[in-house]
This record gives sequence, C-alpha cells and structure tokens, in this order.
Amino acid sequence: MKDHSLILRRPGLLRGLLLSLVAASAFAWAGAASAQSAAQKAVEAAKKICSGKTITIVWEAGLQSLDPKNFSGPMWEKETGCKVNVIEVPTEEMFTKIMQEYRAGTGAYDALNVIPAWMPDLVQAGALEQLESLVDKYGYRDELKKIAPTYRDNQMTVNGKIYGFPDDGDVFLFYYRKDIFARADLKKAFKDKYHYDLAPPKTWKQFDEIGSFLTEKLKAEGVYGASFFRQPPYTMFMFQERFRVEGGKFFDAATMKATVNSPVGVKAFTEMRNENRFMPPGVEKFGFVENLATFLKGQSAMTISWPPYGRFAAGYLGSEKALDWVPKSQIAGKVGYALPPGGHPELAAGFALSVASTSKQKEAAYLFIQWLNSEEISNKRVQLPYTLRDPFRDSHYTNPGYLKLWPDAKDYLAALHQGAQTGLLDLSLIQTDKYEEALRQGISKLWAGEDPKQILDKIAADWDGITNQVGVEKQKAVYNAWAAKSGAYPR
Amino acid sequence: MRAAFADRNFKYLLIGPAIFVLLLIGVFPLVYLLIVSFQGITMTEVSTEFVGGRNYAQLFDDVRMWEALLHTVIFTAIALPIELLLGLAMAQLFLEKLPGRQIFIALLVLPVVVSPIVSGATWSLLFDHRFGPINQVIGWITGNDTAILWTIKPNLVYPAIIAAEIWQWTPFMFLLLLAALANVDKSQLEAASIDGAGWWRTFFRIVLPAIWPVMAIAILIRGLDLFRLFDIIWALTRGGPGTMTETISMFTYVKGFQQFETSYTAAVAFLVIILLSAVVMLALKRVELAR
Repeated sequence: MKDHSLILRRPGLLRGLLLSLVAASAFAWAGAASAQSAAQKAVEAAKKICSGKTITIVWEAGLQSLDPKNFSGPMWEKETGCKVNVIEVPTEEMFTKIMQEYRAGTGAYDALNVIPAWMPDLVQAGALEQLESLVDKYGYRDELKKIAPTYRDNQMTVNGKIYGFPDDGDVFLFYYRKDIFARADLKKAFKDKYHYDLAPPKTWKQFDEIGSFLTEKLKAEGVYGASFFRQPPYTMFMFQERFRVEGGKFFDAATMKATVNSPVGVKAFTEMRNENRFMPPGVEKFGFVENLATFLKGQSAMTISWPPYGRFAAGYLGSEKALDWVPKSQIAGKVGYALPPGGHPELAAGFALSVASTSKQKEAAYLFIQWLNSEEISNKRVQLPYTLRDPFRDSHYTNPGYLKLWPDAKDYLAALHQGAQTGLLDLSLIQTDKYEEALRQGISKLWAGEDPKQILDKIAADWDGITNQVGVEKQKAVYNAWAAKSGAYPR
Repeated sequence: MRAAFADRNFKYLLIGPAIFVLLLIGVFPLVYLLIVSFQGITMTEVSTEFVGGRNYAQLFDDVRMWEALLHTVIFTAIALPIELLLGLAMAQLFLEKLPGRQIFIALLVLPVVVSPIVSGATWSLLFDHRFGPINQVIGWITGNDTAILWTIKPNLVYPAIIAAEIWQWTPFMFLLLLAALANVDKSQLEAASIDGAGWWRTFFRIVLPAIWPVMAIAILIRGLDLFRLFDIIWALTRGGPGTMTETISMFTYVKGFQQFETSYTAAVAFLVIILLSAVVMLALKRVELAR
C-alpha cells in the first residue's frame, strides 16, 4: 500500500518504471525473435506467404525422395499449411529436366536438388536464383556457417554468391572387415611377405598388395580381397580422386591444356585395371547395388563407397519397407571405417538445395529449403535410415542420437567428419558433363581392354576440344576459380 | 460467274484444313529446325543470331558423329537381312496347318508388343555375367563357371545387341510375310507343281514376285526403324564401350538433351533427314511403289 501511494505521489518515478517495462519487453521480444531458429523463422514466414499453396521440388527418384514424400513434406505442410509436390527424376536425367524446364520457362519447378558440380552451368544459363538477399532476409547466415567446411566452402557458391545450400554430405569412405584384418594367421603371413602390418591401406600400393594377398588367402572361403563399383559413372569419381591423390592435375593452369594423360593418369588407369584381377569376376559391371550385395554378404574384405554402405552394413535399416531390397548384412559389427588410400576422399556428387529462377513462388520455395537445410530439421533428416541423405553439418557428426544408432556409429561419424575436412571436389567447369562424358567413355574402353595411354590421350584430346569450344580464356577463369577452392586438390 | 468460281475452288476449301494441319506438324518443324541449325544456341547461349554454316562445318569434322552414323549403318546392314530371312523362314513354316498354330503365332508376336526399352533391360538381365541364364547355359555346356561380359567386351557387344534386336523385331517381319504368303495365288503354285518346277524355282518365279510389294514395305519400315535404333542399345550399353555402339539417334539425344548443343543438334538432325529422305526416295523408286 505504502509503495503504491509513493508511486502515485511521484509521477517521474512512474514514468521511469513504465519506460523500463516497455524497454524490457522490447528487448525480450527482440531476444526471442533472434533466438528463433532458422527453421522456426522459415515456418513463421511460410505461414504468411505459402499457406494453402503448393510448392514443387525436384528430387532424385527412389529412396532419396522418400524424405520429402514421407517425412519432411508432410511435416512442412503440418507446420505451415504449405503443400509440397515432389517431382522424382532419375539422377542422370535431373540436369536435363531442370534445363529443359528452365528453357521452356513454365515455372513448373520451384525448388531444386542440384549436384554441386552442375552449379556453374546452371548459374551461367540463368536457371538458379541467387539466394544472398533471402539468406539475409530470413536470418540464415549464421546457420550456414555451421555446415562442414568442405561442403560450405566448395559447394554453395558460384562467383562468390550463394546459389544452393549443401544438403548431402556425399563422400567416399573406405570400408573394411575388421575381423579379417584381425586374423592372426593372415597378419603373420602378410607381415612375412610385405614387412609391414596388415591394416587399412594408406596408399594405393598398399591397397593393391593387401587386396591381392587377401584374395590369394581367402578366395577358397568365397572372399575376395576387395570389390568396387566399376561401372563408368562411379569409376569416374574414383579416378578423379585417385588421380589427384597421386599428384595429378587435370589441366595446365596457364594454357588450359588437358594433362589428364600424364604419367600419373596412365599409372592410375593401369593399376585400376590390374586391380580387377583380385576382385570378383565381372566386377567391371558392378554398380552400387551389386557391390553393396557383395560386401554385405561378406564376399569382399574391402570396398569404397558412399556413406549409406556403412549404415546398411551395420544393419541400420529401420523397419522401412523401401529398404527390403538391401541384402541382410552378414557383417554387422565387423566393419571398420577409414578414409580411402591417400586420405582425400572424393566428395562424389552430393546434392545442394536451390531455387529455380523461373519459379513463381521463389520466396516460398526458399523458405522450404532453408527449413529443410536448417540445423534443427537436417539433424533429423540425416538420421532417416532410408533417404540416403548423409551428414553434412558439424552438429550431425556429434549428434547424440546418431552416435547411438549402432555400436560403431561413433567411428562411422568420425570417419565421415574426417572426410568432410579433407574431401576432394568433383571437377566442375562450364559444360562439366562433356568432360565427364569423355572420362566415362574412356573408362568403358579401359574395361574393354584398350591401352590406358591411348585412352587417356583421346580423353585429353576430347577435353581440349571441349575447352576450345567453350573458349580457352573463359574456361581457364572458371578452372582457376575451381582449382583455388580448398577441396580442389590435396593440400 | 461467281458460282462457277466457287464450284471450281470448293475442293480446295475442303482439303484446306488438312493441308494446314500437315503444314503445321510436318513443314513448320522442318523449317524451324533448319533455321535453328544456322543459329548458335547452346546450353548457355540463347542468342538467335545467325552464325552462317558454322554448325554444318563443325558437323563435317565431327568424327564421333560420322562413327555414330557408321554404327547405325552396320546395325541396319546386319540386323535387317537376318530379320528378313528369319521372318520369311518362320512365315513359310507357319503357312502349313500345324497343331496349335494360332497359339504359336500369338506367342511369337509377343516380343513386338514389348516396349524396346523393356526389351533392352530384359536382355541386359539375360546377358548378366553372374545371374544371366545365357552365361549359365554356356557354363553348363563348358563345365566351368562362366562370366562373359557381353556388354563390355568389344568383340561381343555387337552380337549381343543384334541378338536382342532380332529377337524383338523378327516377329514383325514374320507377321507381314505370313499375310503376304497366305495371299499367293494357289492356282499358280499348283500349275508350277504340275509343270515340275522345283521349290526354289517356284519361290523365285511365283512366290517372291507375289509377296514383293509387302516385303519391300516391311524392309522399308524395319530399315527406317533400325536407323533410329536407340532404346535397346541405351539399355544394354549406353553406346559403350567408349562410343563403339553409339548410333546416330543416341548421338543426337546426347548432344541435344544432355549437352544442350541445340543448334548443332539441329544441323545433325537435318543432315539425317536429308540422308533418310534420299534413301527412302531411292528405295521407293527402286521397288516401284511410288507410282
């Protein structure tokens, strides 16, 4: 009572108190707003501009698209009232479809999944929307910084501007059978023969020695030293990694002449073909699934592939029917994870989320991809057993839930984290697909038995032809910008 | 006077819409294709400025394009005669009244109704080095595990593609030739038999001339089909090893829809149209069907 009368008797004090209250409320409100996560910001904004509408997103067909169809799409609709229409496209047709739609200008696609190596082409064509202003408008810059450095620094920008959010930590990991590598008889025999310990190979020379040794010792038990996917689209990535790890450069930076046919290239090609001898017969035809089946059935001791192999091998499939095709792992608990020989794994393909420049609802599309890519939502998405989306944020590698998914998950995440620091970018230039096509054709000739040097000379000639067609100076600028990135060549 | 004019031109009025539709779907794309082929449209360049004959000059230096054309000719030259002869032999066989003839004919025709891309995918499984029945049968015969890489090894890849192609399209030849053979004048055949003509003489002097118009059309249709061979090879080899089995259709697809060399692809397509038109006109003239 006394206090009240005091206040009433002193109007200055009352004014001061009121002002303090208003100020405190304003600070609290501002604090709350800034404390909002990027996901919450996207939801709040989308409720206003997208509720009742539908946005269309292009996604890789198959398992990948189960994410927006079964998980994130329905969740986004529940939170914002905004529907998500998923257009499934096989990977090899995604670039074509995106470009065709862009050229037609119908605005049929709002958001896109793009392979980062395509970005220079898509940006130059004008198919992607620059995202800088939207990133600032919806306060996403801080969360973008928490994407693992290799992906953030290499797969997000073109000419210094943001055109996509790295959203899939694709990286090649080396998987090996811990139980085989721990066998005393094999360890002794190997040391006697090669004078170093049987352990995951650090170099390709060691890989060749271990692979041929294990095949020699274990073939009678139905186990080969190693198996790889050898179909050209996959081997193209493996060659790009190996060539650079061994010291190769794709081009002479001054003249832009292709140097893929250097002795390093010939050595890599020759060794790759020789390695097929200690791999299962017909390995030249192995794709993702054939190689996975071989490894999961315990028929090979070493392999290299994308992160889902590690999850599948551990038996982390959930109860998802979509994964019925994955052979039951007979090696759960026996798999070790490491970086491929050379320690610089290829960041093969990957996906970034972008907004189509022809979209009629760019802001709504942007909000959806910000929400998908955000710390909060992406941490859930990368743990889905069926979507093939791999960890790409610093927080993903230390996520307590993920670390407990299977007994060796911490080793798996540690290897992925290492890869995210030392990984090598796919070659990305103007008209990348033409360069890749020449490489793929060369690899199919390699398996057909042609001479490695002749094949590489032809690839180099084709690459020079493409460069001349694009324009040497123009391509040189793009190449040098690419080569300056932290993940272009081993450092 | 006016009535006479109207009478004289009424027929043009009647055929006018049909001509318009024909021009719209036939001539307009052709003219547009020709225009685009003289422009410089690429993946990143949408300018419609004329670049003269640059695309055509590039085309004549493009070894891969000529090789693709050569591969197409090789596939056509091998598969077409085999399909024709096999189809003719099967038609001759089924001309006789056989038990279950209708059922066999229905079964034989099944491959034709299968989509070529499905056929290619099926043959890809048949040729699979581990689970494919073809390698398994060879393995049983030789007594060894067989892992022949049919779609990778250069000496096997053409036979593999041609086998798939023949399997799918021989029944088409068979059906047309069966219909033609069934319509050969029986009295002429009886007369030849009474006169003591042998089977070969009867075939070449009576049967072949009688079925020739149908056979020529069948050859023409299949020849044109083979010239645009795409799906089966795409499913089996994607044109590999290297570009060893790439056909002109595949080359055009890759250039146009994967690499977006729009104007250059238009030049290639125009060249193919010219070549095919010339071949068709010559063929029609030769078999005297154009009359």
